[in-house]
Amino acid sequence: MASKCHQAMEDNTQRETALKEELNKKVKEQKIVVDELSNLKKNRRVYVQQSNSNIFFLAEKGETLNACKKSLDRMKKDYQDM
Amino acid sequence: MSETHIREDEFPHGVHRLREEQKKVVSGCEEQIQHWTKVEADYSSLQERLRTLPDKLSYDIMVPFGPLAFMPGKLVHTNEVTVLLGDNWFAKCSAKQAVGLAEHRKSHVRKTLDDLGKVAENFEARVGFTEDLRKYSGGGKGNYVDIREEVRDGEETLTKGKRRLAHKPNSMPRVESVLELPEEEEEEEEEAGGGAGGRRGVLSEEELWARLDQLQAQEDQLDDEDRASDGAEVNGEDATSSSSSEEEKDGEAGRLTNGLHSDEGWPSESRPSESRAELQPLPPQAHGAGLPNLLQEEEEEEEEDGEGGVPTIYFSHTMEPKKVRINTGRNTMLKFSERKEEAKRKKKNGSHHGNGHGHSHHELHKIKSPADFYRVFVDVVNGELVPRKSILKSRSRENSVCSDTSESSAADFEERRGLGRSLSHDEGTHSDTSEGILEEESPTGPRAPHLPFHYEAFSGTVVEKDPGMPTSIPHLTICAPALPTIPERKCEDPAPDGPQGPPKRVSKFKASRAKATM
Repeated sequence: MASKCHQAMEDNTQRETALKEELNKKVKEQKIVVDELSNLKKNRRVYVQQSNSNIFFLAEKGETLNACKKSLDRMKKDYQDM
Repeated sequence: MSETHIREDEFPHGVHRLREEQKKVVSGCEEQIQHWTKVEADYSSLQERLRTLPDKLSYDIMVPFGPLAFMPGKLVHTNEVTVLLGDNWFAKCSAKQAVGLAEHRKSHVRKTLDDLGKVAENFEARVGFTEDLRKYSGGGKGNYVDIREEVRDGEETLTKGKRRLAHKPNSMPRVESVLELPEEEEEEEEEAGGGAGGRRGVLSEEELWARLDQLQAQEDQLDDEDRASDGAEVNGEDATSSSSSEEEKDGEAGRLTNGLHSDEGWPSESRPSESRAELQPLPPQAHGAGLPNLLQEEEEEEEEDGEGGVPTIYFSHTMEPKKVRINTGRNTMLKFSERKEEAKRKKKNGSHHGNGHGHSHHELHKIKSPADFYRVFVDVVNGELVPRKSILKSRSRENSVCSDTSESSAADFEERRGLGRSLSHDEGTHSDTSEGILEEESPTGPRAPHLPFHYEAFSGTVVEKDPGMPTSIPHLTICAPALPTIPERKCEDPAPDGPQGPPKRVSKFKASRAKATM
């Protein structure tokens, strides 16, 4: 019994850790995105990729920066919850 | 205890394996769920984009130039969308319609997600149950016991033995039947040996034997009767005719036929005599043309056969051993008949008369033997009655024989016959000539003696030449004897020798044919 429970626990932990790592990676990426956007010159144009496609739509730098900050905060929350 | 230990060792392994498989299924489901979740999200974003797309006339975008290259561009016609329906078919529609299509696809994705969720749940529950099972059975608490029934080898063998016993009853009847059958067969065989048709079954052995004896007696009686009728004719000439195969054949045939139709044969005599008369005229003609010596010999043989008086079918081709008896008898008869003929008209005529008696026997309206066919089925050719040719018999030979007989003058034949007869029917000569003549003789023989019809049958084809010969009783009697013997001789020799002037009915072609056949 102990071994079984232990195995189950290990599986769960492994899955959680994997998710955590993945989420942590995303959080780091998001931080970088926010930093990049915040450091862009004013006249730079920002394009946002349509999901599941190869088309990039022109977007406003300020709005994109805000959206990225929001998503970053959400990710941080999730990561902390895990 | 040992068993329980083994179970504990074995069982955990099975449970572990089951749990692993179940986990695999659950993990697979989760992966599928993630994939479909992503798809749903993509559709959701697409829908959002489509909803806002028509808001502006044009969008500045980076146009993909391959997977890695982009170039700035403008997205125009924002309200026109081509939707991939599948299999490289596209539909052009508005953004709003595209949103509807996306929604429709999302519904399918959701359904799939739900199914996957259910499967995952189910298997998770199974995983839990497996955990519980492991606890209960493998835990070794002893609260739960397996219900087991062991199978022993000894029990199986016992069942087999019982089945065999069940089959025994069926086997018994088989044995009985086997035993019974042989007895019946034996009885049959006995009956067959006795010569009487066996009646099996109900009769007991004694009855059967009695029946057999009875049948045997009947057979003997019939045989005696037949022999008595045939024997009178045949006995006299046995020594002389035995040598010739043809005669033998004829005699045999006569016997057989006589035995069967002896009673009937006599009544029919009148008709046969008529037929003989018709046929006979022809042979004499042939004699004139043919070789005297050979003809005489042949005639003698024929006469002998005819004397047999039995309706016989003569097959010139085949030689039969049985003929000897009959032939001898016939030969004697033929001699007598020949003498009679001579006395009447010429030698030929006399022989025919003798034959005529035999013919009378043969003449039977009823068809009881193959020979009867010649009596019943007769064609009238040139005013003469000609027996119909058998389909099976080669016509060329018949024709040749007939033609020969017809060609040779009756007178010549008669003379020759007389010579032959005076010579005392040399058996040796008969045999020699018979070989060559056998075929022809056989037909002639029957005519002269007892088988006018037979004779007619064979000679009938030839008869064509003698239209005048028709069926006059006196002629028949006279001519019949000559004809039988003559035709054969003619067939053999006449052609080579050159048919005699008077009759000349036989064509040279026929004569040549006859030679060839000989």
